[in-house]
Amino acid sequence: MNETEAATLSEKPSIADFARIFRRVQGEVHKAIIGHEQAVEELLSALFAGGHVLIEGVPGTGKTTLVKTLGLALNLSFNRVQFTVDLMPADITGTRVILGGNEGRREFSFQPGPIFCHILLADEINRATPKTQSALLEAMAELQVTIGGTTYPLAPPYFVMATLNPIEMEGTYPLPEAQLDRFLFKVRLRYPGEEEMVRIVSSTTGPEEAGVETVFPLSEAASRVEGLKRLVREVMVAPPVEHYVARMVRATQPENSRILGDLHAPVHVEAVNRYVSFGSSPRGAQALIMGAKVRALLDGRANIDYEDVDRIAAAALEHRIMLNYAAHSDNVDAAHIVEQVVKAVRSTRP
Amino acid sequence: MLFKRTAGPGGVECDVTETRRDQQKLWLILFQIKGVRARLNSLALQQSLFFTLAFLIGGAALIWGAAIFLSPLLFLLAAFAVAMFALAGIVREGRRGLRQVANSARAAAIADQRGDLKGRLATVLALGEAPKHSPLWPYLVEDAYSRREEFVPARIEPRWISRAIFALLAAGLMALAIAFSGLKSRNQVRRTVAGGARGQITADIGNLDIRPADPALEPNAEIYADEKTLRKLENRLAAAQHDADKNGLSRWMNKARNLAGDLQNKVTGQKTENSGPPLRLQLTDRNPGQGEDSASNPSSEDSSGRNGSSGSRANSGPGTARNGETEPAPPTGSTPGSDADQLAHNRSALPAQPGPDPADSGFQDFAAGGSGGGQGSSHGSGSDPNGLFGPDSGRTLGSDNFKITIEAQASDESSRSGSPGYIPPRIRVSLNSDQYPDEPLERGSVPAADQAAIKRVFQR
Repeated sequence: MNETEAATLSEKPSIADFARIFRRVQGEVHKAIIGHEQAVEELLSALFAGGHVLIEGVPGTGKTTLVKTLGLALNLSFNRVQFTVDLMPADITGTRVILGGNEGRREFSFQPGPIFCHILLADEINRATPKTQSALLEAMAELQVTIGGTTYPLAPPYFVMATLNPIEMEGTYPLPEAQLDRFLFKVRLRYPGEEEMVRIVSSTTGPEEAGVETVFPLSEAASRVEGLKRLVREVMVAPPVEHYVARMVRATQPENSRILGDLHAPVHVEAVNRYVSFGSSPRGAQALIMGAKVRALLDGRANIDYEDVDRIAAAALEHRIMLNYAAHSDNVDAAHIVEQVVKAVRSTRP
Repeated sequence: MLFKRTAGPGGVECDVTETRRDQQKLWLILFQIKGVRARLNSLALQQSLFFTLAFLIGGAALIWGAAIFLSPLLFLLAAFAVAMFALAGIVREGRRGLRQVANSARAAAIADQRGDLKGRLATVLALGEAPKHSPLWPYLVEDAYSRREEFVPARIEPRWISRAIFALLAAGLMALAIAFSGLKSRNQVRRTVAGGARGQITADIGNLDIRPADPALEPNAEIYADEKTLRKLENRLAAAQHDADKNGLSRWMNKARNLAGDLQNKVTGQKTENSGPPLRLQLTDRNPGQGEDSASNPSSEDSSGRNGSSGSRANSGPGTARNGETEPAPPTGSTPGSDADQLAHNRSALPAQPGPDPADSGFQDFAAGGSGGGQGSSHGSGSDPNGLFGPDSGRTLGSDNFKITIEAQASDESSRSGSPGYIPPRIRVSLNSDQYPDEPLERGSVPAADQAAIKRVFQR
């Protein structure tokens, strides 16, 4: 082991470092966001797992504030795009404009759009046309943007948080399944309770603002976050847990809803057959594993457990399950389907 | 192997590396998982074994109890049901035992669950043999090793003995209880039989209600009669057997009874233990002039209102005693207080039979040989006046009769709840000086002048 490697290892965060940093960022966010503990934890989990988050909530529940606070706490570059019907892809990605050169020559020059940042808030993403929504696809999946035949890489860490307004659906464009699948988690922000409401009112109507502090220095923020993301990927997964995750994802698919249980006895998830048009893709399994890894690190473990998978299942799978008309008529939502799936698959644990 | 380079006075020092220590820790972790596995498998094996034994012992005890306390057909049904239940239980427990056998992965998963180790052991076990480990592998091994107290076999599975032993104990206790009550019942029967050497009972062949026998009952009676009477009895038995065979259902029922009876005998060993003093019956014929055909035709006797209302059923013959298809039944309607009544009382353990006419009882008291005991009320009622005289036999008592064995078994009512215990026969009347026991007397020479008068007396 040479000196450089030793130095690198010494800078490598430990499991205890991860949990400490995670809790600290969480604490900073909660200075501005009252309540929503689970949502904040899932949001941070997605960030350190290297995914993107779809935030769904009614207006006024703190979606935008949450994202802005997170960017502030992490000390990463942050951009916000308000999606509207007339928003064009170039408005997000950037475009090539003609600029005059030194010798009087005019040439195309690329002007990066708001997508070039570390944390992007795509506010009310369902108000833009599918064409504009799709402009995010390449950036989210491959961390690059191709414009006019030229590919521009995005600087890691890159984290997209898109918000969805579940009401005022008129004139909106539901996200295509392909784009939904690219979000690691879907986080729901619900109405706060009475106690939380009181705290929100008292903390936001006074003269003082929430004093959110940055966790990382500006020069190190990106590398520190990337180091934590690498640590997440090093968490170990036993083959039985991988099989468990695979069974869970397959159980969301109507054609594979008969899963093999103890002694290979099939477990049939009836709700899936009845209400689901399309189940989760393999990205769902990846989301389950990555989310479980973050949870394991938070618990001080270097391995994931079945419980980690179960706890992250709702956030990882709900938005990947396409329900049919029978589900809508019976008022069955994806959360109920995931609950049934987890319950059925849990019985197949060794 | 990694070498830690340290700056010291000796220069480079080579220590035991962390890798080796990790391997030692890993070995200890795997050793403990093996211990957990051994204990889990031992319990699974014990559970299968104990439950199998419990089903075998319990089933055998129930079958033995059924053989003692139930009638043959009920015994057959109960034995079949118990055997099926026990078989199903054994198969089920065997399969459950197989399912509970744990491999190392399962043992690790169970240890994880019971020790709240959150998958640490399963991950260590699964990834221990992997060619390339994550940088977090040493952390995982160290983490699992530091929690080794939480997954020692005694903590994961504190029991050495499976709880299934309680099932085995319960089955053993049940078997003991059944054996105790069964032996008690059989001892009482034996005492009953031993105390029932009460000489002879006279039965009237015309009152015999001959039916297929209960095969569970052993022949334990001897019939004495003259040759002609016994011949009629034999014919009636054959006719009854023929009637029974004509009915298909009856035939099958008889076969079932035979089978069940044989099984019961084998299970309880009654054949060897029923060798008490035999019940001695003297058979008489009140209608000596009646032909054998009519006497042997039960239906004709039924039409005369005799057999159908007969309250006594002494039944058997050489053939039927052999194949066990005739049934000794209690003379439930016999004269109260008589030996026959007592016999009927003692035999009431048999299946219920049509109600008899008490006035038509064919059993009569008979003095026990040499005992000087009580007398019946109809001495010599079956004597044949035509056969009164003959050459002097000069032989001992009863030597001109032959005997057959019929099935008659004393049963113990005390073994049944709510029923009275065995009551020995009451002898109410003793012989006066002018009376003689109704034993066949030795034939002597009778003067010719007196023969007509004697004959007239007997004809009356």
